[in-house]
Amino acid sequence: MNEAARSFLRAIGAPLGAIALTMALGFLLVASITDEPVQAYRDLLFANFDSLGNFALFLNRATPLTLIALGVIFSFRAGVFNVGGEGQLYAGAIAATVVGVFFADLPAVILLPLAVAAGIAAGAFLGWIPGVLKVRLAVDEVVTTLMLNTIVLLFTSYLVNQVIRDTSAYGAVSRMVAKSIWLPPMPGVPGATSGFLVAVVLALVTWVVLFRTEWGAQLRAAGINLRFANAVGVPANRRIISAMLVAGGLAGLAGALYVLGIGHRFEQNFSPAYGLVGLTCALLARIHPIGALATALFYAMMLNGAAYMQISTDVPRSLVNLLTGLLVLLMTARLRKSGLRG
Amino acid sequence: MDIQSLLASVLEQSTPILLAALAAMITLRANILNVAVEGMMLVAAFTAIAVGNATGSASLAFLAAVAAAILMSQLLALLTLRFSADFIVAGLGINLLAAGGTLFALERFYNSPGGLRPPSFPDVWHIPDGSLSFVPFLGRILEGQSFIVILALLAVPATAVFLYQTPTGANLRAAGEDEHAARSAGIRVGLMKALAVGISGLLSGLAGAQLAMDKLHFFLPDMTSGRGFIGLAATLFGGGLPWMTAAASFLFGFFGALGDRLQAFAIPSQFVLMLPYIAAILGLTFARWRAHRRNRPARLPGHQTT
Repeated sequence: MNEAARSFLRAIGAPLGAIALTMALGFLLVASITDEPVQAYRDLLFANFDSLGNFALFLNRATPLTLIALGVIFSFRAGVFNVGGEGQLYAGAIAATVVGVFFADLPAVILLPLAVAAGIAAGAFLGWIPGVLKVRLAVDEVVTTLMLNTIVLLFTSYLVNQVIRDTSAYGAVSRMVAKSIWLPPMPGVPGATSGFLVAVVLALVTWVVLFRTEWGAQLRAAGINLRFANAVGVPANRRIISAMLVAGGLAGLAGALYVLGIGHRFEQNFSPAYGLVGLTCALLARIHPIGALATALFYAMMLNGAAYMQISTDVPRSLVNLLTGLLVLLMTARLRKSGLRG
Repeated sequence: MDIQSLLASVLEQSTPILLAALAAMITLRANILNVAVEGMMLVAAFTAIAVGNATGSASLAFLAAVAAAILMSQLLALLTLRFSADFIVAGLGINLLAAGGTLFALERFYNSPGGLRPPSFPDVWHIPDGSLSFVPFLGRILEGQSFIVILALLAVPATAVFLYQTPTGANLRAAGEDEHAARSAGIRVGLMKALAVGISGLLSGLAGAQLAMDKLHFFLPDMTSGRGFIGLAATLFGGGLPWMTAAASFLFGFFGALGDRLQAFAIPSQFVLMLPYIAAILGLTFARWRAHRRNRPARLPGHQTT
């Protein structure tokens, strides 16, 4: 085995271990509930490929996860612990919806880019706040992003309930965005959003930008050792802020593409904690963009497959929520003992 | 509504926030940002209702709730301190595990994903009406409150005494302020952090028990609805100081009580509910800004400082 293969195996060893342990614990749990644990697990993972319709829903789940994970990668590579994916996602979704609802009379050529740009800008703005506060005043970004998540969720709840609510529909949902700007389905897979292709392309772009451009190298230098980066003349603070702009922008784009391609309106509960799961995907992939695409696909399989599992066996779909919790809890743990006495 | 009954309802609603804030405060002093209070509260609330439903005993339900939260806190301590998992990530994992686990248990054991509402539930001890009539003003506010409210009020001076008047508290703060120096001084940093997480589990357990057992007597998925994070915000706004944290908790609890009532005056409740989180960001920013100004190097003429 050559050196590259060995270091690759070392890199994916710990996350694969966490996934394997979680899945094994989940299997024990499932086996205690149903007589057909194998059937349940098959449906959880592979029922996504049983029909084109299932496959489409699976891709729709993978799209926001991938985009949020890519955003998280930009911020983590720059050394910013950005847990604000959920808020940035909601900001992007509500901004695209507001534009799509209020300017429905504009021609689609103008309205579509406008709605997408509004989503990106709203997400980027939310990334900018913790970025600037961290760089200028060393305010802890974990706190600001966490608090901003709730602030944005409350703000979108206000907008969707009091301003753009569809009064004929049940629950907190907005009016539909103009039909002219609905994204076309993916070629060959009706029901799947073409936004997924955007996510795949952006994963490749992220890799190129981070690892093959000077800008990306400077961004990573700021994340690895800030004082060293500053000392050798890297404009580290500016790179950190732009990393947060990109991170928020990608999560905002995820929200905008969700509205334009999947939901066609804003629903207050459209995200099953996509922000946190996207962060999980990024960390499981060792904050690598191509790896994050893979982990996002894996997670989308579980999130979507849970419904099929619940239908075919009597295992509740909330099993996936439980497994996610276990995985997040375990995934940064190392087997190396650090010792309480340390 | 007269002022005393308003204050009594604010006190009752603030209690889970106060306990969550003290839970986050203890770990913050050991230099741990505890985002897992929310999850530990939720587990305690669920355990309280489940055990109370099964045994019909309020004291068993209360003890089980607190024990469950402490157990969760020690799971977190084990993974972060012994297996060096990241504290924020593992803490968020605890929250997801709590939300997912309680929902799973509701579906699996009670076949009701909407929540658990026992037809009858044992009542916890409340201060009897009229027993405090000899205390002017405050008596009427305290009458009818559960014993957990009293525990929460006592927890404020208790944590203050613990942190500032006991050797263990001093060691805990030392471990939080400078880990390496504390270690050189012979303080068992890992143990201090595990202790801080354990105490925060105890306080989160009280918070969850109060939430589920005081008046409601039922469990809903996600019934903590961000109170753990409001508590965290209160701690950050209060700068990790016990009395300031308590004051911030009551202020935020008051916002919460206000949010429900302002709906009638066409002020959207969402904006009032946002206030704790905005206050936390502004408070932290202001504190950093002041520290920044104090530590700014003197400006030399013709020389630009960055």
